[in-house]
Formats: sequence, structure tokens, C-alpha cells
Amino acid sequence: MADTAPLWGVVLMPFALVAAAVAAAGLDAAVTAASRRGPAAALRDLPAPLGEALRLLGQQRRRTDVADIVLGRVGIGLVPVAAVLAAAVLPWGFRAVTDPVAGIVWFNAMEALAWAAIWLAGWGPNSALSLIGGYRFLAQGLAYELPHMFALTTAALGAESLRVGDVVAAQQGLWFVVWMPAAFLVYLLSALAMAFWGPFGHPVGRDAAGGAVVEYSGADRLLLLGGRWLLLVVTASFSVPLFLGGGQGPLLPPWAWTLLKTAAVLVLLIGGRRLVPVLRMDRYMEFVWMVLVPLTLLQALFAAVVVLDR
Amino acid sequence: MDLSRALRRFVARRPPVFLVTLPGATAERLAVEAELRSRGWPSADGPAGASALVVAGDPGGDQLAWLGETWRCVPQPKAYAVVADAVNGPGALDEVSELLVRAAPEMGPVGAAAPGEPHAGHTGHEGAPDHGADGDQSSHAGHSGHGGHYGHAGHHGGVVAGLPIAERADDRDGLRLDRLYLNLGPALPDWPAGLVIGVALQGDVVQEAEVRSPGTGVAVHRCPFWSAPWLLAAGGETVPCGAADRRRCAAHLDSLGRFLAVAGWPDPAARARRLRDAVLADVAPGEVARSVRRLTRRIRASRTLRRLTAGLGELPAARARDLGITGPALAADGDVHARLCVWLDEIERALGGMNDTRPLATDGAEGPRGRIGGATPPSQALLDVLPVLLRGAEYACARLIVASLDPDLDELVYAGVAHG
Repeated sequence: MADTAPLWGVVLMPFALVAAAVAAAGLDAAVTAASRRGPAAALRDLPAPLGEALRLLGQQRRRTDVADIVLGRVGIGLVPVAAVLAAAVLPWGFRAVTDPVAGIVWFNAMEALAWAAIWLAGWGPNSALSLIGGYRFLAQGLAYELPHMFALTTAALGAESLRVGDVVAAQQGLWFVVWMPAAFLVYLLSALAMAFWGPFGHPVGRDAAGGAVVEYSGADRLLLLGGRWLLLVVTASFSVPLFLGGGQGPLLPPWAWTLLKTAAVLVLLIGGRRLVPVLRMDRYMEFVWMVLVPLTLLQALFAAVVVLDR
Repeated sequence: MDLSRALRRFVARRPPVFLVTLPGATAERLAVEAELRSRGWPSADGPAGASALVVAGDPGGDQLAWLGETWRCVPQPKAYAVVADAVNGPGALDEVSELLVRAAPEMGPVGAAAPGEPHAGHTGHEGAPDHGADGDQSSHAGHSGHGGHYGHAGHHGGVVAGLPIAERADDRDGLRLDRLYLNLGPALPDWPAGLVIGVALQGDVVQEAEVRSPGTGVAVHRCPFWSAPWLLAAGGETVPCGAADRRRCAAHLDSLGRFLAVAGWPDPAARARRLRDAVLADVAPGEVARSVRRLTRRIRASRTLRRLTAGLGELPAARARDLGITGPALAADGDVHARLCVWLDEIERALGGMNDTRPLATDGAEGPRGRIGGATPPSQALLDVLPVLLRGAEYACARLIVASLDPDLDELVYAGVAHG
């Protein structure tokens, strides 16, 4: 069922990803403007992320004293690169750029690159607040990664395959979200955490004057903050093939279903962001180990029993 | 060439502004914040994220030195504007736009440290106050680095490129770890204007904290904005109770906005600030009461916020009383979240009293931060307790503790109380 996309898909994919990220960032800007200055401001702020990108492109890049420029830039560059590489196994409709046997593992490995990326970016400028931001992401990784992997495992277990195409195919008739709701919710939480966005934005928190991005300007800042939106879009869209049946649906073509479901997940995340303050990992960790880890383990057990019984 | 001009014009339409407030300039800050909001200009987290540096207040003396450092951290193209009087807020932002179009970066804070000094370009906001907000550190000017300015650091491990290497000390678990000295403030976002706290950090845990001279060497002879009604009443003027309640309500909404921004909850933070401006603009209480109550209810109902702030910065009433603390921090008798709840209560109570036209009592008055008319202003006691509460707190918790006490340094520069 799952074919790989033609060659032009490889070329098109990064652009489609950027377009989706710009749309998501625009929606977020519009919602923010509407809640602060009334609905009239929402339309005006819709293109604000594009304007910000232009501004950063025309800006001087800053350099701090005794900075580790190479490591810092490697970290910054890794953020968008990790997002694009992760998107390679993301099916649009039923076709992904590539659909390897261990696609889910590939996806998880690319996300884990973000760990290195943010930490290096925080380390680079030789600045205390920036380093604090980098460390915060390491703590965040320790908190989210375990339940996240159990959630991924649960989906793979349901399909009895690590191939993303098989996972989509296994949801014909019944989407995984129906009998794996806990795994789906945990996945959404970790999608936010991985993109260090919203309630998990502590690594770039305002209390640390921007944390890991505090010293970056110009193109560096654009890559880091733009790459963060790419990560958010990729991780949010990956929930569609994992739990929401991928391109399956009546009437509309598969790509349209993928787009609709992805948009719905992103709207949910962007809307839900306003409900909670930023989570500090020293407090969140307890919740993760006491609630989320047992919950995802039970969910995996349930999925395993269902599969054995089939 | 035309392209870069077009780009500058484009940026000038809504540049992100890094707003730095000097002590005594609360009215100017409020004017600039309101203007930024109505224009939809973003507020930057720090100098590196900004296109413009706007100073609320009239800088002088040592302030120009650290403002110069902050200015150097703003990447080109950039603009600088000073709002010395609240009525000039809109004009200053127009000026920012013009400067960005013309690309005139030389218009920075005059009197800034000469270029070529060791830490030009070094980490802005926390490095900036290296030159010390206090005059007695002028001997260190030019010798950069956190350690040299921190009271307890006589012997650090060495110097690389003009910056000290972190030294080592035992951490709370008895491990020998790197220890770094740096100053928090005065140019941090959502930070009490003019406050500088010297901290010794291990990782992001505060080992020691010391409040540095909040007085900036520049005496301000204006009545502190938030406690003005009570000070005027104590001075013999007739002030209606309603006006005082209005000011108290706005003061706590201001503190609330700052606290929520530090806690990473920008949506209600922005709402609190909008309502603060509405309250100050003499809107009829009935018009804002519903929105204010909706906001306070939402904050009180947030179990996440409670879980994140409970147990931080415990300050029992008995201890607070010994330290001379009055006002919300004493009434709270507890942690950061308890202090937050006292603000919410007082905001709601003040909403009901805004129409009261009876004159304000002249003695024993409680301002937004505590008892007015004592030997020292109420914020002094809040500053005195900070080093104790901050010890052992992580950076994020330290910020929450400071935000929950929210000392108002306007009171100190007005009274001319020397400190440090």
C-alpha cells in the first residue's frame, strides 16, 4: 500500500515543510494578537512570522567573546536538519520520501538529534543564561523521552511492524487513537517537548531572557527558532500516520486527509498552548515517572494483549 | 542597495523593542508598554533579539555604562530612544522607526564605555551591569568579568580573553563543581527596574545571592508611581480612598503581569497588563470588573500553576514580621503561590472600593508593597529577605521568588536610601 514518492517529492518535501511551518507560526501569531489586541489584529499579524524571518535575514550576526562558534553553529544547523530528516519517513497520503523497514526508529533517532542540537547551541556562545537554556533541554529530554518511546512502541506493536507504511495500513477500519488514546495523548505531549515549544518552551524561556537563543541574532536566530517550528510541524504531523489513520478517510484523496488531520492536530496544540504556563522539569519529572510512564506501559500491555488475541 | 533600504523600511514598521526601565520611571514604562501594544510591536527577550533599545527614564552616571553594553549587544540595524517623560512615549517610537530607516547606529547611549574594552560584545544583559550599578566599583571599570565585581570572589582560577574562568566549590550535595559569579539585572525582561542581584551559580543553582546597590547614583525626586496616593496623603494632601484603591488594583495587576510572564504564561500576563492600563485610565470600575474577575478566577483555578509554584520561597509570617516585612508578603504567610493569591484577593477587594470618595487616612496606610511612612520604604524589607530566599534555588525558581515579592525600587531611589 505504501509506495515511496517520486524523485520530485524529495525536492518538494523541505519546501512543503517550510510552508506548513510558516502557516502554523502565522496561526499562532494571529491567535496571540487576537487575545491581546482584539480580533481585528489577528489578520494583521497572520503574516508576522514571514516578516520576522525577513528581519532576521537582514540582521547582523552577533558574536560573543571566547565563543565556541563551530559547536554553536553545528547545534543551530542541526535543528532544521533534524526536522527535515525526520520528515523523510512522513507519509503524505500513503507516500513518503522513503519508507524504510525501521522507519519509526529513524524518526525517533532524528528527533533525538534535537537533544544534541539545543545543548550545543546553548553551549556555543559562552554565556551563562544560554547554557542554562541548553541544560534545561537535557533535563526535558530525560523527562519526555521514555514515555514518548513507549507511545511509539505501542503504535508499532499494534501494527506488528516498525515500517510507517505498515502502521498506516494496519489502521484500516479502526484508527489506533481509538484503542490507544493514552499513547496518543502522551505522544502529543512529547511532540511539544521535542519542539521545545509552548508549555515545554523552558529551554528558550523568557525568564532566562531567551535561554538557548539569548545570544543569537540574524540568520542564527532564524535557523534555531524557525527550525523549532519545523520540528513542531513534523512531530505533530507524525501523529497522523501513527494514530489517526494516515491518509485514510472517505471521499477526499489521501493527501487531503493527511493535510486536514495534520492541521487539526496543529490547531489543537496551538490553541491548547494558552491554557497552561511553562512547565519546569523539576516538577514535571515527578508527574512523568509517577503517571505517564506507568500509563504508557499499561497502554502497551493492552495493545500487546489485543495483538496476541487477534 | 535599494533592497537593503526596502528591508530597513519593512523592519521599521514593527521592530521588536527591548525596553529597559530605570528606577523611578514607572510612568514612562507604562506609557511605552501601552504604546507598544497599540502598535503591535513585539517586545524582545533581550538585546540580541531586538531591533531597538528603548530606555524608560532619563539615564545618567553609571547607568550609561551598562546601557552602552546593552546597546552594543543589539545587532545592526538598530535604533536607540530615551523616554524621559511619559508623554513622549509615542514620539520616541516614531523616532525609532525613522532611525531604523536611516540606519543611524551611532545614536547610542552617550557616555558609553569606550569601544575596545575587554568585554565589548560579551554576554549582554547579565554581563552588562559588570560596571556596577554602584559607584564604589569604578576601580574595576575596564577589568571585566563577574568574579572581580562579586564581593566574595577574590581569587578566581584565571582569566581567558578578559573573562574569569569559573572557580570550584562544593555544591549542595558535596560535589566539587564549577562556580560562576554573575549579576542578574538590571536589563533582564520582566525584572524589577534597577534591581541588581549578584549571584554565585553552580549549574543553575544559586549558591549565594547579594542585593547590589539598587540606588543607581541618580537621585529621583519624583513620588514613586505605585505608592503615590499614600505618600501624598501622608504629606497632608487629601486623596480619595477610591483613587488609592484604583492604584493598588493597578499595582497588583502590574506585578501579576510580570509574575505570569516570568512563569511562562504570556496569555494571561498580557491580559493583566491590558487591564492594568484600563484601571489606570480611569475606566468605570463596572466596565473592567468582569474581565478582572475572570482573570483572577482563571489564575486561581490553574492547578498547574499551583503545582509549579508551591513550596518555593517559603516566608512564614513570623519570620516576615521579624524582618520588618509588611503588606502582601506578610499577609501571604507562605510560598510564592500564597503571595500570588494575596495579590488576587487584594485586586478583587480594590475593585469594590474604587468609587469610595472618603479621604484616605493619613497614618498607618498600607500601600501595594506594605506600610508607608515607616523608617524605611516597604520594598527595602523585601530586598533584605531576597538573599536568604534565593540561596539554594534554581535559576527559574529564583526568578519566580523575585517576581512574587516584586520589590519596587522607585520607593528606594525616591527616599534616597543608600544600600550595599
